[in-house]
Amino acid sequence: MQQSEAGSLVKAAAGGDEAAWHALVEGFHGLVWSVARAYRLGSADAADVFQTVWLRLAENLNRIQNPDHIGAWLATTARRESLRIIRSHVRTVPMDDTALADFLQSDEASPEQAVLDAEQGMLDAQRAIAMWRAFGNLPARCQRLLRVLIATPRPSYVDVAAALDVPVGSIGPTRARCLRQLRRLLGEVSETESQAHLNKRGHRGENERAGRA
Amino acid sequence: MPDEPDDTELEEQLRELGARLDPVPPRLLSVAADSYIWRTIDSDLAELVFDSALDEHVTATRGGEYARLLTFEAGGLSVDVQVTGSGQYRRIVGQLTPPQRLAVAVRQGQNLTGMDADELGRFGGPLGDGPFSLLCSAGADRDRPVVTDWISL
Repeated sequence: MQQSEAGSLVKAAAGGDEAAWHALVEGFHGLVWSVARAYRLGSADAADVFQTVWLRLAENLNRIQNPDHIGAWLATTARRESLRIIRSHVRTVPMDDTALADFLQSDEASPEQAVLDAEQGMLDAQRAIAMWRAFGNLPARCQRLLRVLIATPRPSYVDVAAALDVPVGSIGPTRARCLRQLRRLLGEVSETESQAHLNKRGHRGENERAGRA
Repeated sequence: MPDEPDDTELEEQLRELGARLDPVPPRLLSVAADSYIWRTIDSDLAELVFDSALDEHVTATRGGEYARLLTFEAGGLSVDVQVTGSGQYRRIVGQLTPPQRLAVAVRQGQNLTGMDADELGRFGGPLGDGPFSLLCSAGADRDRPVVTDWISL
């Protein structure tokens, strides 16, 4: 969605146009959800963040200072709310440090099953499973960036930068680097699939947990 | 920097993967659409200024019971609340400062639940699951209602 179009929708929704509100939800729901997931919130917490962000937008429609930047506003609100929830939980709930478990997770079935059950798109099931595993073996920084970037509809770099609190200019180069790593992993994963779970990140996660305990 | 065609295709494949494995739950899409009913035209927003879960000096767990303390402030009105319990069976009690008799309501989901403050500014009632906000009606010294930031605990 173009910034000017999004800005017009915000102004229309603020003026009482409910169809404009629905168009905003349609245009940015994937971004908001992806930000919560990128910060590795589980389903219940991600649902809370998602709801809170839209309630805040409804509340603030008349207070938004730059309607054209609504995507960045939503991404920033989602990031702050995700971090607030993480901080409020951190002293009582141990954070899960596994690379895959809570990432791209499906509530109903195993990801493999979800892939197999899905209708055939441009990915065949085998390729999808390989990608899912390779994605989980990327460095956390790459997983976070890509998880936001692959929201549907595709977010702008400005919105992605707001979601991650990094300069807009860093998104393109980081994306290129992360996709290159993913491609490398995809090559490795198909050859040494059985070793996929022995990646270094997993071990480092365990050490960090042990150090904290 | 020009985009490599391969990168575009790989990103689109990832997008398809994300849409398959981790779509926005349909229930939440409806919730987002319905949030529009809480659009308020003429009110003051009370922002969260204190949250016990983010304050290292406060121990909110006592005798096994979990209590969360929050403070919201908007010009001239301060709202302190304590939330106990969990899930569907939470309870909220609150205190307005300065103390005053005032119509207070909890906004949650599609519901507005009244819990009027007494002359000492105290109010309380049940609280369900999910994000909520308080609506305090206009008072003697304020001509606009006050709404608190939406918050999930």
